[in-house]
Amino acid sequence: MPFGNEQSERMKKFKNKGKDATALRRQRMEVSIELRKAKKDEQILKRRSIVFSFVDESVSPAENKNEMSQLSLEDIVEAVNGSNAELQLQATQATRRMLSRQKDPPINQIIDLGIIPRLVEFLTHADNAPLQFEAAWALTNIASGTSDHTKAVVDGGAIPAFISLLSSPHMHISEQSVWALGNIAGDSALYRDALINCNVIPPLLALVSPATPVEFLRNITWTLSNLCRNKNPYPPLDAMKKVLPVLICLMKHEDKEVISDSCWAVSYLTDGSNDRIQIVVDTGILPRLVELMGRPELIVLTPALRAIGNVVTGTDEQTQAAIDAGVLAVLPRLLRHAKSAIQKEAAWTLSNIAAGPSRQIQQLITCGLLPPLVELLDKGDLKAQKEAVWAVANFTTGGTVEQVVELVQSGVLKPLLNLLLAKDSKTILVILDTISNLFRAAERLGETGRLSMLVEELDGLEKIEALQTHDNSMVYRAALNIIEKYFSGEENSDLQPGTSQDGLYDFSVEKQDFNF
Amino acid sequence: MELSDANLQTLTEYLKKTLDPDPAIRRPAEKFLESVEGSQNYPLLLLTLLEKSQESVIKVCASVTFKNYIKRNWRIVEDEPNKICESDRIAIKANIVPLMLSSPEQIQKQLSDAISIIGREDFPQKWPDLLTEMVNRFQSGDFHVINGVLRTAHSLFKRYRHEFKSNELWTEIKLVLDAFALPLTNLFKATIELCSTHANDASALKVLFSSLILIAKLFYSLNFQDLPEFFEDNMETWMTNFHSLLTLDNKLLQTDDEEEAGLLELLKSQICDNAALYAQKYDEEFQPYLPRFVTAIWNLLVTTGQEVKYDLLVSNAIQFLASVCERQHYKHLFEDQNTLTSICEKVIVPNMEFRAADEEAFEDNSEEYIRRDLEGSDIDTRRRAACDLVRGLCKFFEGPVTGIFSGYVNSMLQEYAKNPSVNWKHKDAAIYLVTSLASKAQTQKHGITQANELVNLTEFFVNHIQPDLKSASVNEFPVLKADGIKYIMIFRNQVPKEQLLISIPLLINHLQAESIVVHTYAAHALERLFTMRGTNNTTLITAAEMAPFVEVLLTNLFKALTLPGSSENEYIMKAIMRSFSLLQESIIPYIPSVITQLTQKLLAVSKNPSKPHFNHYMFESICLSIRITCKANPDAVGSFEEALFMVFTEILQNDVQEFIPYVFQVMSLLLEMHKNEIPSSYMALFPHLLQPVLWERTGNIPPLVRLLQAYLERGANTIASAAADKIPGLLGVFQKLIASKANDHQGFYLLNSIIEHMPPESVDQYRKQIFILLFQRLQNSKTTKFIKSFLVFINLYCIKYGALALQEIFDSIQPKMFGMVLEKIIIPEIQKVSGQVEKKICAVGITKILTECPPMMDTEYTKLWTPLLQALIGLFELPEDNTIPDEEHFIDIEDTPGYQTAFSQLAFAGKKEHDPVGQMVNNPRIHLAQSLHKLSTACPGRVPSMLSTSLNAEALQYLQGYLQAASVTLL
Repeated sequence: MPFGNEQSERMKKFKNKGKDATALRRQRMEVSIELRKAKKDEQILKRRSIVFSFVDESVSPAENKNEMSQLSLEDIVEAVNGSNAELQLQATQATRRMLSRQKDPPINQIIDLGIIPRLVEFLTHADNAPLQFEAAWALTNIASGTSDHTKAVVDGGAIPAFISLLSSPHMHISEQSVWALGNIAGDSALYRDALINCNVIPPLLALVSPATPVEFLRNITWTLSNLCRNKNPYPPLDAMKKVLPVLICLMKHEDKEVISDSCWAVSYLTDGSNDRIQIVVDTGILPRLVELMGRPELIVLTPALRAIGNVVTGTDEQTQAAIDAGVLAVLPRLLRHAKSAIQKEAAWTLSNIAAGPSRQIQQLITCGLLPPLVELLDKGDLKAQKEAVWAVANFTTGGTVEQVVELVQSGVLKPLLNLLLAKDSKTILVILDTISNLFRAAERLGETGRLSMLVEELDGLEKIEALQTHDNSMVYRAALNIIEKYFSGEENSDLQPGTSQDGLYDFSVEKQDFNF
Repeated sequence: MELSDANLQTLTEYLKKTLDPDPAIRRPAEKFLESVEGSQNYPLLLLTLLEKSQESVIKVCASVTFKNYIKRNWRIVEDEPNKICESDRIAIKANIVPLMLSSPEQIQKQLSDAISIIGREDFPQKWPDLLTEMVNRFQSGDFHVINGVLRTAHSLFKRYRHEFKSNELWTEIKLVLDAFALPLTNLFKATIELCSTHANDASALKVLFSSLILIAKLFYSLNFQDLPEFFEDNMETWMTNFHSLLTLDNKLLQTDDEEEAGLLELLKSQICDNAALYAQKYDEEFQPYLPRFVTAIWNLLVTTGQEVKYDLLVSNAIQFLASVCERQHYKHLFEDQNTLTSICEKVIVPNMEFRAADEEAFEDNSEEYIRRDLEGSDIDTRRRAACDLVRGLCKFFEGPVTGIFSGYVNSMLQEYAKNPSVNWKHKDAAIYLVTSLASKAQTQKHGITQANELVNLTEFFVNHIQPDLKSASVNEFPVLKADGIKYIMIFRNQVPKEQLLISIPLLINHLQAESIVVHTYAAHALERLFTMRGTNNTTLITAAEMAPFVEVLLTNLFKALTLPGSSENEYIMKAIMRSFSLLQESIIPYIPSVITQLTQKLLAVSKNPSKPHFNHYMFESICLSIRITCKANPDAVGSFEEALFMVFTEILQNDVQEFIPYVFQVMSLLLEMHKNEIPSSYMALFPHLLQPVLWERTGNIPPLVRLLQAYLERGANTIASAAADKIPGLLGVFQKLIASKANDHQGFYLLNSIIEHMPPESVDQYRKQIFILLFQRLQNSKTTKFIKSFLVFINLYCIKYGALALQEIFDSIQPKMFGMVLEKIIIPEIQKVSGQVEKKICAVGITKILTECPPMMDTEYTKLWTPLLQALIGLFELPEDNTIPDEEHFIDIEDTPGYQTAFSQLAFAGKKEHDPVGQMVNNPRIHLAQSLHKLSTACPGRVPSMLSTSLNAEALQYLQGYLQAASVTLL
């Protein structure tokens, strides 16, 4: 981040005129701590299968509901552990039914029965498809719970069993296994890699064909996306290389849920180091992603924007690929999107493009991004405004003097200065740094007087002055620095007190050898 | 130290002694305590004393000592020994919370501070039980205890309001939320219930409301970084209760005090802050609640009285409305004409009224009044908040708001007209309203720069402002006079010039007003008018236009300094300075009287300098008197010296540190006015100027160097002949300065003057030493600033003594030195030199090295010839630094750091830039061409061949341009 380690970062800026893109571009923040509610626009990690009536009727026509519901937990344990296939089926079905009810499924109780290893064993009963299916379903729903719940399923040995069921001749069993595996993969990087190491990918990919029903395809895409998900560590590169071509195909599907989940998958793949971004760029999918960013459906637009947002955290060349794919043409609309979360994501994306070299900044100007940026800075909600502030900060760090002038002329100063009242120390600091950048540009033009007048007219001076008493020491030092440098009449800055030698001024010196 | 009664007794004795007024007893006791504080058990002894001592004074003293001990020692600094032993740390943490909670309030506060200091270091990792321990006390039902916990929590959590987001911080907040949010919410609900059950018990209510205030503050801290899930889920509880508290009133909680805010006001004020926080940061989630808060806060404003104790609450509340009304999606809450009218009528107008407290300040505390009113330190006042609300409303509703207010302004003016002496406050409010309505952008330097076009400012000025200022009595309705003058001041860029000219005599007249505010405003307004720019960078108001008023202006300005309360009025002194600068030679006839008055003033204030700005402008005015007079009549310098030297001597003898730098600057100015040899009075002072004690003060260095330069310019020969024994001392000063990275440039100023002006033979014996000294700095601690000055100096030397002399002295210090300096310093660094004169000196010096230094042509130095030429061409062709300094008259000095840096440069004592090569060389490029031509005639063929072998093409092209311009060719 450009405002982290102040001194050395600053030196970098002077030398390279701030074009050290690795320092400016901001990766998606690694937030291991959240205070807020989980975000609603994130993709779902795990899903439970609640009762589908058509499954009940078509697959288990023989089932007698009254009889089922009367099975006690003790009965279930006994039946499951017994050897009567009919009873096994009934008990497993009863278990699955409890786990499928809409409210408060008794996952913990079922786990405590200790029947998971048995259920896993049922998965291998290739001669008894109904039993396999019911067990798979029950396990899917257990795995959809907390991490402890998923762990219980994995510890029961379910991974290899489910993977072999992918190739089951019965489509509904194979589909249920895909689902279960998706829940396991979504739990953590650890289980995800365990699946990959058990070679889950080839049989999973083999399920994708033009003939695959769309419901099934949605499940597969979702599971694939969970296999791409999670960091620390990232999923292995070679596995991703295998998945990617299929994802690219799925992204071209017409079903919006399939598109959505494949976009999410790509967004996970791009959320990492530049070599990961590169393999996505190399597929040539960026134009399609940009096209999807323009779609009205939130479930498509959100992950597509994320993916592109991640791509532009990469190198200048990778960012250029996104620009060439047309991202700058769709961003204005997204910066003005009705949903503030989209505005925020779009502004973040823009901030990373603005962190590029001046030719990219020029494209940003040419494509008319300044008016929506200023608008957002003025009227957006605070989260989006913060990102817009970063965009302006990066712009002023890497832009040429002419570009910075254009930025100021587009009216950025007023909303920027107003945000000095934001209740967020970091944002305030970034704005103060931006103001310093603006003054540096003004210095090169001999226009500091005009800029300081403008800042004062827009009530900025008063706000900066007030910040001199801010509780955060970095904030007040930055404010003080601006006031001293640009708002205090003449300067005596080179007159700091010096160290004095001894009080006696005798003029004498001993010669030494010189070598410069 | 053991936890023994004997030790407790000893400690008690010493603590008692630390309270003794006699330092002979107090100091040793403090020393003793310091010497034992490293011992184990010391803090536990203090804790025992503050709990169990029989004497309450010892309890308090022990608690303060304990807190200070914690403050100094608790933090463990890396690589430093742990100052408190581990067992003491554990014991302190185990005991301090219950101890704090059971202590009386005075001790509780100290311990609470100590807990937050410890918490800052140890919480949460090393003090995991703290939160549970605190939360458990919520159940106690004892609000003395609960408030202690809340206060401690507040001091622990308030840093969440300003720290940067980080994983570490958020981990802590999450931990706090998990343990604290629910109990706090329950406590909040319970406290509110208790408030209604105890609605008739004043003393219980006070305790409960103290809790509510702390709870509301904690809410703010915990919600600051982001909206926590818990608070989002419980927003209904919190906001509903906050809302009803805003509307609550209870006679028992009303205070009689008019000044101090009561508990109810403090609580409501904090709730306004909380609502503003949510409105700003969590708009999406808070939207459903916002309209309710707008209504409640608005009703609050309508029903709150004018007393000072409500000021913070009212300005917070108005600021909340101001921030909401500017937002697009809340526009509709204000849109209705009735709403707007009602806001204007019931919120804005009443809060713009001039209150009794304002009137008091106007009369009795005018300095503070002026600071608030003029310099905008009014951020928290009601008027200011009302003004912000006007501007906020104008964003969407400029037309309607202007319309509504025009009606008010008119009716208030009518009220005034009916009976001015009773209703003058109505007019004051009307003027204030017009001002806040009209001003859209404002700066100190230029006044209002953008005005509301719907307000006719000139008409208002002519009809309502001028009549007040024209009235026969300058002392009648002083507040309205001040308003009128301020109106001129801030709208000076909107009102046409002819109106300003009409106003000038009126302003001059008001310099005589008895009211401090009025005559100060008059002086300030004149000063501001005199700095307005006309066309062509001249002043808008010319000296010619001012001619009829010169005498009365000067008379009234100086008379104003004799009015009670204004003897050191900086606004008046600044107006004097600005008048001199504007009027120039038309002040000459008045100088004798002026300088007498200034000297008397100087003498008076030098007894006890207390107003830095006043003093600064006074010295500026003295400088201006000297410059203006001596420009017309150089011989007048003598009479200034006569008038000033007595006071100066006194200042120097009494060592008035604040004034000494100024005195040196004025003396420099005077000395520079002399056309002939230096007067003997100055020479007598010369040895004193070399006294080390003077040079130890940083603030003296620049003006003293400047003064010594003036001595060298005017009196180098006299120094060489009559004070030759002082030359080592002079060079000693140079050496002292050069040793400091901060002051080395000053050392070079001095050295350059020595080289330029002193007769060569007088410094001959020191020359080698000077260079050795410079080389040492270069070798050991070179900085860019040093190199730049060094380069200018050696080139100046080269110009003065010749290139050959330069080469010889270098090589006499160490063989091949000259080549090394060329190669390692001059060639690579010359482009760093900045400043036109500096660049010119370097250009001429290098030209000399290239063309007048035989060793450059026929020794191993020859290989450096072309690189040096190339570097010189680079110096020529670098873009010039062409920032033009502002014209002196306009320079604004008000924000000069003044005494803080201990050197206050006087703008009007300014030194003209000195160009030592000015007469010798006009155009250095042509000079280079001519010199090369001369060289090539001396050794035909050599120069073109050197050029063609290694000069790069671009440089060659530039060079050919120079040759063409000089009409010479190379042979």
